[in-house]
Amino acid sequence: MPTKSLLIYVGGRLLQAVPILFVIILINFALIHAAPGDPIDILIGGADATPEYIEGLRREFGLDQPLSQQFVTYIGKIAQFDLGYSLRYRESVLTLILGRMPATLLLMGTTLFFSSLIGILLGVFAARRPYSAGDYTATFLSLAGYSMPVFWIGQIMLIIFALHLAWFPTQGMYSLRAPSEGFGRILDVAHHLVLPAITYSFYHLALIYRLTRIKMQEVLALDFITTARAKGVAEGRVVYRHALRSAILPVVTVIGLNFGFMLAGSVLTETVFAWPGMGRLLYEAVGARDYPVLMGLFTMLSIMVICANVITDVVYALVDPRVVYR
Amino acid sequence: MIPGLRTIALASAMFAALAVGVLPAKSQTTPKRGGTLIVALENEPPALAPYLTTDTPTFTTVSNVFNTLVLLDEHLGIIPDLAKSWTVSPDGLVYTFQIVENAKWHDGKPLTSDDVEFSFNELIAKNHPRAGTWWKNVASAKASGKYTFVFTLKSPYVPFLSVLASPLASGAFIMPKHVYEGKDPKTNPANQAPIGSGPFKFVRWQRGSHIELARNDQYWKPGKPYLDRVILQVMPDAAARFLAFERGEVDFLHWYIVPYDQVGKLRKDKRFQLVSRGDAAGTNGLMLINHRHSALKNVKVRQALAHAINRDTISQRALFGEAKVARSHVSSNVAWAFTDEYDYKLDPALANKLLDEAGFPRGADGKRFPLRLFWAAGRDYEGRGAEIIKDNLRDLGIDVTVQTFDRASFTDRVFRQWDFDLAMQLFTTGPDPTIAVTARYHTKQILKAPFVNGMGYSNPEVDALFDTEFKEADPAKRKAMWRDIQKILMHDLPALPLFELPAIHAASAKFKDVVTGPQGYIESRENAYEVK
Repeated sequence: MPTKSLLIYVGGRLLQAVPILFVIILINFALIHAAPGDPIDILIGGADATPEYIEGLRREFGLDQPLSQQFVTYIGKIAQFDLGYSLRYRESVLTLILGRMPATLLLMGTTLFFSSLIGILLGVFAARRPYSAGDYTATFLSLAGYSMPVFWIGQIMLIIFALHLAWFPTQGMYSLRAPSEGFGRILDVAHHLVLPAITYSFYHLALIYRLTRIKMQEVLALDFITTARAKGVAEGRVVYRHALRSAILPVVTVIGLNFGFMLAGSVLTETVFAWPGMGRLLYEAVGARDYPVLMGLFTMLSIMVICANVITDVVYALVDPRVVYR
Repeated sequence: MIPGLRTIALASAMFAALAVGVLPAKSQTTPKRGGTLIVALENEPPALAPYLTTDTPTFTTVSNVFNTLVLLDEHLGIIPDLAKSWTVSPDGLVYTFQIVENAKWHDGKPLTSDDVEFSFNELIAKNHPRAGTWWKNVASAKASGKYTFVFTLKSPYVPFLSVLASPLASGAFIMPKHVYEGKDPKTNPANQAPIGSGPFKFVRWQRGSHIELARNDQYWKPGKPYLDRVILQVMPDAAARFLAFERGEVDFLHWYIVPYDQVGKLRKDKRFQLVSRGDAAGTNGLMLINHRHSALKNVKVRQALAHAINRDTISQRALFGEAKVARSHVSSNVAWAFTDEYDYKLDPALANKLLDEAGFPRGADGKRFPLRLFWAAGRDYEGRGAEIIKDNLRDLGIDVTVQTFDRASFTDRVFRQWDFDLAMQLFTTGPDPTIAVTARYHTKQILKAPFVNGMGYSNPEVDALFDTEFKEADPAKRKAMWRDIQKILMHDLPALPLFELPAIHAASAKFKDVVTGPQGYIESRENAYEVK
């Protein structure tokens, strides 16, 4: 693979991202400020604060400035990698986001890995035995998984596996009553991770399964597969080396695209399972109209999605030798 | 139990003994040491700085870490905390507090009246959202001697001690001067890792997950606290939080997050206990009425609504029979002030008659006029209440459209845009009605600001009473003034009181004395202990 041209390509894509990011920030800024509600109201809570106090807070956070001025100030700060200061937490937005990022990446990474792997394997399995009982079962389950809302699946998982069977904890990331250290802590986190990861996987797994199955069926009907079989290539090799390699390209695209959707989906999963990640931070920031945190999260997510797209392209080049970037 | 203005000098030992003696909340068994209490929080606290906020999860947490000067007892009387005794001058202007001499900050430094002076002048007066409502009465707050502290008021203000004893009203926790002096109080790192004087020390704040507190072995109240650790875990989803409680992962749900539809089930389950104790805030659920509306500005129309809305059904069906009907603008918990004399009877016929008289006869289709009723998502009982109101008013020929908003949009719509007809809202009325009730219904509170008089209600007669009652030293006279206030408010109906939010806390049966005071959800857990 021509490494140099790939590097130039990646650099170019990242440069392109700058104007895209600017437009994204502009749109986000406009949308967030167009929503009804005043962060100050949430900040003072149920209190009957005096108008002077309210004006004081507005000045402190620069909310008394015209919107255009607020935008210019914000862009100026972003250019210096300063995401601003949270209205609600009175802490740096970057600190807040970075503090929540590991939990989300752990949950997302686990989900993405297992649901992609299982989705692809199931898809291959079903494509090899189309219209069999196994195919119908997998199709039915994946359709169900695709259409059930995450918060509902989450509740059902909790009721069955946490409340009745008591196999897994219901809330959080750690056992707080009996905290453990070292390796025990890793096991503890893994134990807490199971239910949210399964819940979070349903949608993604269903999507990957469906796509793999269709693509594999298409490819398995092509001439080169018949040729390979005619040459006497072992069936496993035909399926995994010849067919899957060709069928997996669109699946890789969808996995990459799904990255952005998954971050959005983390809001519900993290809320139901009290998982301390970015999705929850987003949810709380929406409720509190915490503009800097919202803007910071959306900007961060945009950057992550742009990176995910670039990574997808690179993976493309790795799995398909025909793809060459110039 | 409002303290009169005559001098009350109370020897601390006597008072403490008396306070313990009259507290029915205390269990008889001897508390043992040890154990971890896990308390559910519905949201992540913004910062652990009580002088900056009125946020419930913040107060649930910091009440374990800090102390106030005084506290409230079961009957909303004033009892000591850091102030072991106090005197009030005969003219009601000078409050002198004796601070305990053995209190220490968690970093080992002694707590003195300098800390108290700094907390009030530099932190609370300048930063707390509610300071504007009461601090204007204060002429000076000064230390006079190492353990003596003096408040001087500009004019008599009877609810003063209640304000100091109610952190939700004043944020009046005593903060360490040496930690805060010379730094911006809004960005002080101690706001994320507080150093207090209270029964539990701050250990860590795992963002988004939990806050861990550990027993303060040097606590200045001998023998206390009993628990090794208090952990406050953030659990934002109501249904999942309740499952965690049922499974025993969390030990305490405070009254704002106990689901009323589950109370019956919990009551029968031996693994749990329900604690119905002390709602110092006297929270009422109300239906706010916009006085700018062409029909609602007519008092007969408002009274017709009061006669037509079945509030018994609301407490039976919307709150599963756990709530009392609210019969005044002051909660029955504030017993000295409350009267139900001016309440409305359910009488649909009279309601129809009043509407006819007011000039809103039924049209050919039997309809009179339409109304919009707003509520903010989050408290499902308000939504169920809104649907019941819609049903009741349909029979009256009024078509009600029920609309839900998220909390921020609702507050904006109702209190800033004044763009509503009817709206469901909780208002506190205690621990002293001056603190909460006056702020909602006074003419000068018609402001485009949250949780004040967004209804646009104005009556000079009640304003005059509001402006004088808090100076009235004679409890009997002040009580009479509050009866007059309630008479006018119930006649005018700036809002219709619907239900008194029931104070029902849920705790694991493994613990005792989780709640001992009237501010159960935000009190310190210094009395709580584990039974095995």
